[in-house]
Amino acid sequence: MTLYEKIKSIYPELEDKDFVDVICLQNDSDGKGDYIAAWNHPSLTKPTNTQLNSVV
Amino acid sequence: MADKKISALSSATTPLAGTEVVPIVQSGTTVKTPVSAFTGYSPAFSAYRAGPNQALTTATFTKVQLNAEDFDTNNCFDSSTNYRFTPTVAGYYQISGSIGLTGTNVRVIASIYKNGSAYFRGIDATANLSQFTVSGLVYFNGSTDYVELYAYGSFAGTSDISSGQIYTYFTGAMVRSA
Repeated sequence: MTLYEKIKSIYPELEDKDFVDVICLQNDSDGKGDYIAAWNHPSLTKPTNTQLNSVV
Repeated sequence: MADKKISALSSATTPLAGTEVVPIVQSGTTVKTPVSAFTGYSPAFSAYRAGPNQALTTATFTKVQLNAEDFDTNNCFDSSTNYRFTPTVAGYYQISGSIGLTGTNVRVIASIYKNGSAYFRGIDATANLSQFTVSGLVYFNGSTDYVELYAYGSFAGTSDISSGQIYTYFTGAMVRSA
């Protein structure tokens, strides 16, 4: 499951348009995978690693 | 040494390396400066994705692994590890990138990152574009500044970054010294 899918699972109300400037996911092609580069959502808090890891 | 007309000098028999010096008048004083200081000897590059196609995750800005070079005049482009252009001459460079995607996309963006952060965003289209671009003028300090090309696609299923020089490439050249 991708990071995008995990976040959408935690916050189903998020729309795809949120994943550009409000929430920015990034992959630097360095083998470390996807990560949250910016989280600027006005009401939803950035999910913790525990939350993300609990999504299967 | 007696004065000698330039027209009487022998022609260079090998390409200039850039380390040769020429006299130039600066503030009324004649000084020497290396050929490499002239814009014509400044870095220029053209890199591309040679293959295979690079996997992309939906809704995620992903650095394009530009693993081949058409030319790289001063060895300033890293096409094996970090896929970035780090020019060694300070100045202003025109940087351009193009990205091809294979899948059916609902939104695509091409972005130039400078020193790890988004710097220019080109096409930002809520459409199934298979080819999109970004370009801009970037200042480099000639030592630590670098740029990279990032791709964004929003899609269901899969969409990969297309390999092939005509689809996915990143180019740049100095247009003015610092």
